[in-house]
Amino acid sequence: MLPQNKCPPEIEDYVSAQSLAEAVAAMADGQGSALAGGSDLWAQKDSGNGRMRKRLVNINRVPDLRGVSEAGGVIRLGALTTMTELLESTLLRDKVPVLAKTADRFASSQIRNVATIGGNIANASPAGDAVLPLIGLDAQVELVSKRGKRSLPLDSFFRGPGKTVMEADELIAAVEFATPPKGFHGVFCKSGPRPALEISVVAMCLTGILKGGKLTGPRLVFGAVGPTPMRCVKTEALIDGKALDDALIAEALAIMATEIAPIDDFRASKWYRTQMAQTFLEAELNACR
Amino acid sequence: MDKIIEKHSMIGKRVTKLDAPDKAVARTRYINDMVLPRMLYGKILRTDRVHARILSIDTSAAEALPGVQAVITAKDTPGGKIGVLRDNPPLKGDVVRCIRDEIAAVAAETEELCDEAIRLIKVEYEDLPTVFDCTSALANGAPIIHEDRPDNIAMEQNFEHGDMAEGEAQSDFVVEGAYNVHYVTHCNMGVSCTVADYDTDGRVTIYTQTQYPFNVKMDIAPSLGVHPGDVRIIQPPVGGAFGSKLDVYPYEPICVFLAKKTRRPVKLIYSREEEFIASPTRQPVEFKIRAGMKKDGTLTFRDCDSLLNNGGYTSWGATTPYVTMRTMTSHYTVPNVRYRARAVYTNNPFAGSFRGYGNVQATWALETHMDKMAEKIGMDPIAFRLKNANPPNQITPQGSNLGCIDLVGCIEQAAAKSDFLAKWHANNKAWAEPGRFKRGIGIATSLHNAGGAKIHKSDGCGTMLKMDDYARVTIITGGSEIGQGLDTVLAQLVAEELGVPMRDITIINNDSALRPWDVGVHASRTTYIAGNSAVRVARKARDQILRAAAAHTNMLPDMLDLRQGHVVQAETGLALMPLDRILRQMHFAGAEAELVMATDYYEPPSEPEDANHMGDMSAAYSHAAHVAEIVVDTRLGTIKVEKIWSAQDVGRVINPVGLEGQIEGGIAMGLGYGLSEELKIVEGKVLNPSFRDYHVMTAPEMPELDLTFIETGDAEGPAGAKGIAELPTIVIAPAIGNALYNATGVRIDHPPLTPEKVARAIAAHKGLLG
Repeated sequence: MLPQNKCPPEIEDYVSAQSLAEAVAAMADGQGSALAGGSDLWAQKDSGNGRMRKRLVNINRVPDLRGVSEAGGVIRLGALTTMTELLESTLLRDKVPVLAKTADRFASSQIRNVATIGGNIANASPAGDAVLPLIGLDAQVELVSKRGKRSLPLDSFFRGPGKTVMEADELIAAVEFATPPKGFHGVFCKSGPRPALEISVVAMCLTGILKGGKLTGPRLVFGAVGPTPMRCVKTEALIDGKALDDALIAEALAIMATEIAPIDDFRASKWYRTQMAQTFLEAELNACR
Repeated sequence: MDKIIEKHSMIGKRVTKLDAPDKAVARTRYINDMVLPRMLYGKILRTDRVHARILSIDTSAAEALPGVQAVITAKDTPGGKIGVLRDNPPLKGDVVRCIRDEIAAVAAETEELCDEAIRLIKVEYEDLPTVFDCTSALANGAPIIHEDRPDNIAMEQNFEHGDMAEGEAQSDFVVEGAYNVHYVTHCNMGVSCTVADYDTDGRVTIYTQTQYPFNVKMDIAPSLGVHPGDVRIIQPPVGGAFGSKLDVYPYEPICVFLAKKTRRPVKLIYSREEEFIASPTRQPVEFKIRAGMKKDGTLTFRDCDSLLNNGGYTSWGATTPYVTMRTMTSHYTVPNVRYRARAVYTNNPFAGSFRGYGNVQATWALETHMDKMAEKIGMDPIAFRLKNANPPNQITPQGSNLGCIDLVGCIEQAAAKSDFLAKWHANNKAWAEPGRFKRGIGIATSLHNAGGAKIHKSDGCGTMLKMDDYARVTIITGGSEIGQGLDTVLAQLVAEELGVPMRDITIINNDSALRPWDVGVHASRTTYIAGNSAVRVARKARDQILRAAAAHTNMLPDMLDLRQGHVVQAETGLALMPLDRILRQMHFAGAEAELVMATDYYEPPSEPEDANHMGDMSAAYSHAAHVAEIVVDTRLGTIKVEKIWSAQDVGRVINPVGLEGQIEGGIAMGLGYGLSEELKIVEGKVLNPSFRDYHVMTAPEMPELDLTFIETGDAEGPAGAKGIAELPTIVIAPAIGNALYNATGVRIDHPPLTPEKVARAIAAHKGLLG
């Protein structure tokens, strides 16, 4: 709240890494906090709510963490890819428009210019918008540390608000996902008290292969209705490859409501979050028919 | 060849605001940018309790921190209390009564050192019983917030006119309603900031954002223990005020005490969180309205009782009933009226003044209620309002002469341009039809003072004018510029009188040591009062010049005119001599020498209210009508405002650019009030002190606007103009509430109409809530 009530974390050391090796070395003792766009980190530091460690590791000058590329049917987004880059990349607009559409609803242009995909993932906010379509794309997150490299599904990355499976010495290097095949359908919805510059009260991403009014291999992911981004696997199984008629949609809405876990807080009630989630899903399933 | 100069009027021309170019290129140096040599920074320790006794304050560790130059507590501020009822000590020594309360302050070489020193101050408290709502605070045995007010009532206003029993007896229908309006805050882009500097002789200069400079001298001096004459107020450019800087708040005397103790200039500036938590809010009110009418829609009586949550201290919020009262007693013709308001102390944050001043709240309640009344007797909202509209020159129950008003014109223009009735009837019929999205249209109107408000013994403004040898004009005005456009209006009015280009006019408006007295920026008064004074002073200068020019040209003064920097023959426009030449001839005339200098003090023909609230408080009144067309998402509860039609009585258009800016900005503010803005205060604590969670309107939400200026031509106003700045903020919210009803058949009595509130109300209406 006020500065006098909370002490901003002391930064004892600052490293501006020029290469991935330097960044990994600076993180190696588990005492580093990676600084990318700073749109979450800095706001948390100033409010005294930060989880900053004593060494600030600026990774902005590490070339290996940048870039949007495609090779061998896999699209790779470097951790430093900004929301503006998601919005403007011709590769993504062409092949994964849902990412551009999500970025378009993300905060304001000033924040989009600095906020990174790696930061949105590492921050592990239940309301993080950019992670939803990435989960919908079955993305893998690539982590690096002095111990080496590992990849794991983004879907199993989050443990709670601000909590992930990442170790203290690890950095997010990139996210990767298979280039979506022909017929891929992806939508992102969010709503709040105003259409722009809004933290999600509820956000939803629905993906799958759409053909003849049926969605095959669907992924249904919600933000801000639980401690982490929430995938609704029972709902996915229910609608997988089936004709989306009124009865099935009604059943899907009911099952989905049992899979999400929204809370009451000053931004919205559990009732309203459920109503929003059902409204989004109903509209998007109807749009697939 | 003879040069002919035609008469060329500045009035009604589109003129760029004089301060706009510098602001657009970030050249304006705001108070927040100020740095003085040897300046220290100040910071306030605020309590995190809502009601507690202070047992001890230990500042020793803070004082020992290198770079800290002063730590002060209540014992260092022996002066009087501040606030409208003088109930607010700048630093609290015994009891804290609300979340913002100031406990101690530090001055140090840097802001970071201030933060560190503040964290080192230890305070011990004993919590006291708390009370947060008016009804509980009025109950027997409620915690007492101020010992000298055991009933917790800070202020009470009562008014009655006509015969309420007779009005009741004449009524065929009576409609009752309750409307609770919420906390919002100003959200000035420039956070609160002040810089204080003592001289060696004990006189203090305060650089501040005040919009009330001469009253600040008077109000702050007792708290400082200095003579008001020893206080100099300088107002650098501010990033918004909107009424928030009408009172003295604790941070200002605290900053002065820090400057006094350190003998160095001290700058105290809020963080954004502090701005949300420790600034005055708009006054929240609980209204109960009971109103009657005959079968034909004629209003018979109106009874309004209201409770104002006063919070821990009394600022201007408690006085907003003076404006609310006018709306409740005088908006539309009502023969029998009663009004009661009580401001009740609680442990909530306290309210101050805010653009619209009680009328935003009043108009929400009254115009929602008027729509309900129209529905009750099956009239459409336009016909019902026209039936009861105030006529021009009406004498109100409080004794105001409404003068050249045009409420009928406002309603008719807004309704005609929006095709209101056709849309309204069609939407009404569509309630039962299926579909997630529903369209609605609604109207609201309001009455506001448009020629100042004589809340003090004088509502006047002084102006001084000088012209130099190059025909450059300097206007030293009592009026203050807080972004509303005073400079531009004055320059336009003076250019009109003196026939000089606007760029040759310099306006000085920010130093109490230079400027003549003025009562400040409030009550939509500045164009009217400061404008009239500027016109009058310019006419005095013009007379002086024309007298001299007449002597030089062997003509009579009234045969001459000033146009485009020349003295001309009035009838033909024939240029006789350049203006600068006659000014030099006047100046260098030996024993006859004179400079063109003039002064004026304009006192408007209004009168203060008496103890019974009778009195024609403003020199002019005006109305506005807003129509809003919306689309409601009945599932998500979101309201998209598609278009707004505004018709406002502006007296006369001086500068369409300024007028449009005020109306557009006012509508943006009013939309926030109606739709999205709410300072969420639970048990005295502010839950959303950030722009992330406090939702002001942003550019994408602004609808298309259709603005109609109705020119009634006020006989007293400068060039016929009226004050216009508050009405646009006042009217729009209830128009949207009424449109929501037209779209869905769902009425929400308590703003803001946030998506969840709307979605819930619609679900409840359909029986979908358990």
